[in-house]
Amino acid sequence: MLKISKVSKVYEGKVAHRALTEIDLEVDKGEFVAIMGPSGSGKTTLLNIISTNDIPTTGQVEIEGKNPHRLKKNALAKFRRNELGFIFQDFNLLHTLTVEENIVLPLTLEGTRVKEMKRKAHHIAESLGITQIMSKRTYEISGGQAQRVAIARAMIHEPKLLLADEPTGNLDSKASKDVMEMLVSINQKEKTSLLMVTHDPQAASYSDRVIFIRDGRLHSEIYRGENRQAFFQKIIDMLSLMGGDGNDFSSVRV
Amino acid sequence: MTFRQFAFNNVLRNKRLYIAYFLSSMFTVMVFFTFAIFAFHPSFSSESINNNVLFGMTVAGGIIYVFSFFFILYSMSSFLQSRKKEFGLLMMLGASNGQIRLLVFLENVLIGFFATISGILAGLIFAKGILLIAENVLIISESLNFYFPTMAIVLTFISFIILFFCISVFVSFILRTKKLIDLIKGDKQSKGEPKASVILSVFAAFLLIAGYGIALYVKGIYVIYVMIPVILVVTLGTYLLFTQLSVYFIRKLKNNQSVFWRKTNMLLFSDLSFRMKDNARTFFMVAIISTVAFSAIGTLYGLQSYLTKEIKAVNPYTFMYKPWSDDTEEVIANDISKINAIFQEEQIEAKMEQLELNYFDTPIRYGDEPLRSNGVLIARASDYNRFAALIEEEELHPEENEAIVVEQSDAMLMMGTKASEKLKESTIQLDNGQVIQPGDVIESEVLSEIEGYYVVNDKVYELLGAPTRTQLSIAWEAIGAGHNQTVEAGRKLAEQLEFKVTSIDYTIYEINKAFGPILFIGLFIGIVFFVSAGSFLYFRLFTDLDEEKRKFRSIAKIGLTQSELKKVVSRQVALLFFLPIVVALIHGAVALTALSRLFDFNLIVESSIVLGSFALIQIIYFLIVRFFYVKQVKRSVL
Repeated sequence: MLKISKVSKVYEGKVAHRALTEIDLEVDKGEFVAIMGPSGSGKTTLLNIISTNDIPTTGQVEIEGKNPHRLKKNALAKFRRNELGFIFQDFNLLHTLTVEENIVLPLTLEGTRVKEMKRKAHHIAESLGITQIMSKRTYEISGGQAQRVAIARAMIHEPKLLLADEPTGNLDSKASKDVMEMLVSINQKEKTSLLMVTHDPQAASYSDRVIFIRDGRLHSEIYRGENRQAFFQKIIDMLSLMGGDGNDFSSVRV
Repeated sequence: MTFRQFAFNNVLRNKRLYIAYFLSSMFTVMVFFTFAIFAFHPSFSSESINNNVLFGMTVAGGIIYVFSFFFILYSMSSFLQSRKKEFGLLMMLGASNGQIRLLVFLENVLIGFFATISGILAGLIFAKGILLIAENVLIISESLNFYFPTMAIVLTFISFIILFFCISVFVSFILRTKKLIDLIKGDKQSKGEPKASVILSVFAAFLLIAGYGIALYVKGIYVIYVMIPVILVVTLGTYLLFTQLSVYFIRKLKNNQSVFWRKTNMLLFSDLSFRMKDNARTFFMVAIISTVAFSAIGTLYGLQSYLTKEIKAVNPYTFMYKPWSDDTEEVIANDISKINAIFQEEQIEAKMEQLELNYFDTPIRYGDEPLRSNGVLIARASDYNRFAALIEEEELHPEENEAIVVEQSDAMLMMGTKASEKLKESTIQLDNGQVIQPGDVIESEVLSEIEGYYVVNDKVYELLGAPTRTQLSIAWEAIGAGHNQTVEAGRKLAEQLEFKVTSIDYTIYEINKAFGPILFIGLFIGIVFFVSAGSFLYFRLFTDLDEEKRKFRSIAKIGLTQSELKKVVSRQVALLFFLPIVVALIHGAVALTALSRLFDFNLIVESSIVLGSFALIQIIYFLIVRFFYVKQVKRSVL
């Protein structure tokens, strides 16, 4: 599904900064992968490269056998809105639009029929439990609701790959739990591949596999076993093994 | 870092944010300064320009100054609106109200100072350009040469330093402190769509229709009576049009999901309604200001062309000589030799025709009475045709039992019955007892007689008897002589044979000369208003630029193609640029139509030229602004 080979990223400048060094990574169809690492380890850079918002200095990114970085600007925009879904830490909703309008935005840009859009929006809103707030404006809803709206927007066009950048970063523990459970259920029901960058071990414990990055290199990876609780513990252990400062991680929530 | 340093650095290191405000301030200074250069121009202050013109200039200067004040105030307040978040942050860090006011005050003084200086510099260059145009396009007897305008510089500098100081004081009080949270979230929250009530929307439409209806219905002198009420009604109507009718319209559109949810429409209209309050105000101001500009220029241009056309209509020949009735033949012969001498001097070749105009009294009956006490002109067809050949008019061949009524184009006669109507109802009694009924009425300028005349068959003419009075009329039509030659000859003729010779080119030259400065001032004020309207739009657009960039950046992450982005941005800019201008163009067209009704003179050509050139300028302005705006947004997106 997603194949990254020998991706490096160097930020040019007065002092050149190497953010990523020869990263290799594969995500299978329907897999849920979390990327963790201390601040400045290059997680977000990696996600930006995968999401085609940034270009790698060297190396290849292949999504379903296609290299999106080779596409022209317009084709890339189309690729993004057809094949990829995005969830951001700060939700990235347009405050001039209502919740419903925000959700259908990718479809309107594509020129889908209104009936079709309505149906899909309604369907997805129901499964995410946001039907009551459909006509509200974005500044009238809570963070948890906003993130669910963002998920709805990311999912409405049934993307093959869903990219999430700290989806729980702005949420309280209850909302985090809800959001993560939703992502898992989407992952299982729709067989959507999911790649998530997070600081939060709790959020990471919902994934099938956690990849640890440190100083722009792959550090290690651990797979989830049967038990989420045990997986969570393993993640915590790995984080402490990797070192870094304790305050890099959000407080443990069980 | 002291607080003062902070304020200075805040401006100097944040140039992009301040540039729009700075530019519009600078621009205002430049306009005022350019105007001051003219007002203090040596050739205007000499006695050749009368006091009325000088007074007009002073008033115009005052208007520009007052307008500058409101313009800068408006720019400033919307500039501050866009910086709410920054103030919120400062307050969160513990800045007191007083400090924020001081910050705004210092910033303003700083910007104002530099805007004044650079405005004056830019104005010097601009003035040079305008002077060049003025010299070539308008006829002003003394050439308007460029001079170093010490007086204008001093006046502009002092006026604007005072103005910026007042605004700085004023604005720091505008900045009412709201709750901190409102300031910080200020950019996210909609100022709200203005409420659109159906009643007020209908009322808006009603006001506009009524205003237009009245303006288009009335004729003649009544135009002046209804002018003020119509202006008030239409202004109010325009205000409601933008604040109510357009909001109502957009609401309806938003509710219609098959339109609103189609492709990029959603982005366009949601944004439009989000900013409706600001937009409505801008639209209203731009529309009204542009209307003033269109009407001012249209009126002056129309008036000038009305006068010149009138004179041209009455005087179809290059030169016309009519001696006084008590001039002896000797005087006339002397005059004609003088005229010929002048023609030779100026190397003008002209075809000449001469004619005794005979006015008859007794044979013409209007009922039982003679038609006019001082006689009515009856011309022989052959005489008429000789003159007609001179200016290539159609010849007339009346039958023996017919008289053709000729009148000059009705332009000259604003009110009262047309000359032809009485002539048509009269009859001509010949010596042999025959009575001739006037036949066709035609319009022609061949012979100059305001009250109209008859043209009869040569044979009939012999039977008319003795004329009451006669008037010699000699016409010259210059062949291939240049405009400058005929003007020069006209000037000499006017000196030597005052009032006896009419020289059309010279007369028009004189009118243009007298009209030049007035037209210039009108044109200048019109341009100032129009450009200011453009500046408003520019400011409106660039105040929201950062917000726009942020919005498009988030959409681009989801996937927005370049062409879609360009489409949305272009439409947004186009709406902002053309909606108020189209309204202003319609207003202007109605105003000019009303004006033409006042003079009973067709102004369609003049109106189309004026309105068309404004529309063209606006289109060019739109294309330029769009280019830069799209570029800015695109660059921020990637």
